[in-house]
Amino acid sequence: MIGSLLEDPDPVRRPSNLSLVDVILWALRVAIVVGVAVSTFVTLSNTRLSGDQWRDLFIFGISQGSVYALIALGYTLVYGVLLMINFAHGDVFMFGGMTAFFAADWLNDNGLLNTTPYIAVPVILLVGAISSMIVALLLERIAYRPLRRAPRLVPLITAIGASLFISNSVRGLYGDGVKAYPRVDFFQGTFNIFGIPILKSHATVIVSALVLMSALYWFVERTRTGRAMRAVSEDKDTAALMGIDVDRIISITFAIGGMLAGAAGVLYAIVYNQVIWSMGFLPGIKAFTAAVLGGIGNIIGAMLGGLILGVLESLAPTLLLAGYHVPSPNQLRDVIAFSVLVLVLIFRPYGLFGRPEGK
Amino acid sequence: MPRAFTMRAAIRSGLIAGVVMIYLVAVGIASAFAKREVVTGYLTLGHLMLVIPPLAIGYAMAGRPLPAYGRVTQALVAGLAAGTLFAAAFLAAVALSPGIRLVLNRVSTALLDFVGFRNLGLEPATGALLNLGLAGALALIGGLVRIAPVAVRRAIVGGGSALLVMSMVEPFLRPRLLQLSLSSVAQFIYTSHGLATLSAALILALGAVLAVSWPKVRSTARSRLAAADPGTRSTLRWAAILVAIAFLYTLPTLSGSFLTQVLVLVGFYVLLGLGLNIVVGYAGLLDLGYVAFYAVGAYFTALITSPTSALGWGLNFWIALPIVVLLSAMVGLFIGAPVLRLRGDYLAIVTLGFGEIARVLLGSDALKPWLGGPNGILSVPFMLGNGTYFLPIVGKVTGPAATYFPLLGFCILAAFIAYRLKYSRTGRAWNAMREDEDVAQATGISTVNYKLLAFAMGASVGCVGGAIYATHLQGVVPGGFLLLVSITVLAVVVLGGMGSIAGVIVGAFALIGTPELLREFAEYKLLVYGAVLVAVMLLRPEGLIPDASRRAELEEARELEEGELKVEYDEISGDA
Repeated sequence: MIGSLLEDPDPVRRPSNLSLVDVILWALRVAIVVGVAVSTFVTLSNTRLSGDQWRDLFIFGISQGSVYALIALGYTLVYGVLLMINFAHGDVFMFGGMTAFFAADWLNDNGLLNTTPYIAVPVILLVGAISSMIVALLLERIAYRPLRRAPRLVPLITAIGASLFISNSVRGLYGDGVKAYPRVDFFQGTFNIFGIPILKSHATVIVSALVLMSALYWFVERTRTGRAMRAVSEDKDTAALMGIDVDRIISITFAIGGMLAGAAGVLYAIVYNQVIWSMGFLPGIKAFTAAVLGGIGNIIGAMLGGLILGVLESLAPTLLLAGYHVPSPNQLRDVIAFSVLVLVLIFRPYGLFGRPEGK
Repeated sequence: MPRAFTMRAAIRSGLIAGVVMIYLVAVGIASAFAKREVVTGYLTLGHLMLVIPPLAIGYAMAGRPLPAYGRVTQALVAGLAAGTLFAAAFLAAVALSPGIRLVLNRVSTALLDFVGFRNLGLEPATGALLNLGLAGALALIGGLVRIAPVAVRRAIVGGGSALLVMSMVEPFLRPRLLQLSLSSVAQFIYTSHGLATLSAALILALGAVLAVSWPKVRSTARSRLAAADPGTRSTLRWAAILVAIAFLYTLPTLSGSFLTQVLVLVGFYVLLGLGLNIVVGYAGLLDLGYVAFYAVGAYFTALITSPTSALGWGLNFWIALPIVVLLSAMVGLFIGAPVLRLRGDYLAIVTLGFGEIARVLLGSDALKPWLGGPNGILSVPFMLGNGTYFLPIVGKVTGPAATYFPLLGFCILAAFIAYRLKYSRTGRAWNAMREDEDVAQATGISTVNYKLLAFAMGASVGCVGGAIYATHLQGVVPGGFLLLVSITVLAVVVLGGMGSIAGVIVGAFALIGTPELLREFAEYKLLVYGAVLVAVMLLRPEGLIPDASRRAELEEARELEEGELKVEYDEISGDA
């Protein structure tokens, strides 16, 4: 498993004289477990939701989560080779979704979108993937490459700047407002899979994401370039000595991460039917959460982390809050995602499936 | 071989400049600034923005180690490359118009007319050629300026900057001059929307003369100061401080209420920047959720002082402030304790998570009974009097000026504290910790305690900012506490130079003040903030006014890198 290879060498420092902080942390752990257990019990004991509704929420969570997983792969791949958080990755995702809108619109005007959806939808995905790839490559070349040896916070600040720059450039180039994706007949209605009705759009998203993730896994595990990527992520200098062009591999990593993010942008648009220049931030942060959840640097982990986060985000507001009759629990969806982010980073920065070094 | 190599480099740089020009047009910056006239009837800020890339590339290209003739040729080639690309893009846009607008919605006919000099009655093809020629000419000028003697260069830069500054302050200066019954002066300098031609020429000349004579004035002043005895020197220093205080004290009266409002805004960011500077600049902890402390301060203040809040205590601001500071410091400790063991970049993301949680919670229906949801908490009383009080000399103070004076006081206090901290034992501990945590720990510094201290100090300063903000607006709404505030404060600190107090002030004026001067700029503010963050990190990571120890630290890292670059360069020149 490359997971163990790509793991962060020192995810958490553990000085021994931390008793007070440790006490606070343990109190926090206990409080969370008790809180989650009690509120779940309260909700389930006076629930108003049927089993079907829970199932639909779950499926929505899976389709949402597969989009997060695709974006999370970009974070994880880049973190694997450069040990940096590519904060602008969410905006790379947005750029794909926004640019592909024009392709979708054009195909729709020609009627191709509804007559030949089997060709048109992959074309839109491809447009999204390629445009995001270009942005990711430019980002790496212009903003990150000169800073490889800079202190750690320098590239992170650059990435934050790049994120603002990309999203606001798109706002200037493509315009300010929300762009509504054309309605595709192909996505209307539901599939019945083992008697479970699944919205066709959700099924498309889940299947596309699975295909892309399998392709990525094959690429990293089975091809020569994939092997070079793994070598670079393990040790850049040694990889260079073995004749690997490190700069090229890093570019390829960004390109792949960008393509997946661009495809994710289109899939996101299929779920929500609209795109806007500011849409990169939240999915970006959530995908980062997913990447950390699965252990950053770990490819399988990012996929699982995305799915877990998607489901959690979809179920948790209702599960934890509805029992107390909190008004509009879905407003607090993002709070759940961010709480997961904070808690994972505090308690398991090496991910759910990872292990801290030396244990 | 070497010639071909350098030519290729010139063309490549020129193409980059061309891309920048196309970007400026397509993103809408050029047309937004085209409404702003620098010299009435001749030059708009939009033209100026498009003029800068070829000029700059010419200037840069002429800086290469070649004979003068070669340098100018390089500049010209780069300019022509930029111009060709730009002209080609212009022709393509004309050919694709109006369809292109479906994608790039700023590329209007008006914009194309502007770029193609339609107002001179030119056809697109001639317009494109003119653009090409202009780009080449401008790059040539840039190159010539580079190889010209220093005095000439200085005169041009000085004159140009004076012209630009005077035209930018027009919307404030002209009405202010009219108010102060200096209308004849106002009419001489400005037309209704830009500089008058004659005054523009005068300002250009004046700026040039000042810029050329400045180094001599400065060096004589320096040598005189060095020769003066210590008594005189300290008198001079005190005189300078007194003048500065008098200036700041009378500034609202001089500048009028609108400009005071801008100053107040800048003041908030100076205060926040000083607070974040302790966390980021001194202790090296990147806090992306700084807005959370600002929000906590504002909301605590509103809760305690507003008679209509859920608590309804209606306390006096000055009684509430210590309570709020204490509470916020505790919040800082509480948030800090679990996260401070994390490594730098994770810490940044966790704090960002806290900031976002705060934002969503503040606006949520769930906490509406206490925090008012999207409506916030209103009727927060003013800090002093009822927003009107009397001060000696300046007399009655009201409006934004009523916030200006206390805010100024807090800024000075925060700057003083930050200054004293920096050179204290604590400051040195932070410095050590930032440069190498393990070594700092090995020398007996309790990194956790010092990190917590930095966090709590930053939180307190931020919450004071929030408290003043709440009273300034007489209320709090969740919309004022977005992630963008955190990022703006970060940009202020980064631009000025992390760890530098003067840098924070300069950064706040540059990033907060300028957008207010350039209203057209407002839409592109965030774009520019992003570009500033990237550009500073790439080109000058120590910031505009660097802090000494920080610079040393970054230079060390850069030398490592430059060691490699130098090898490459030697290979190339060895080739030649």
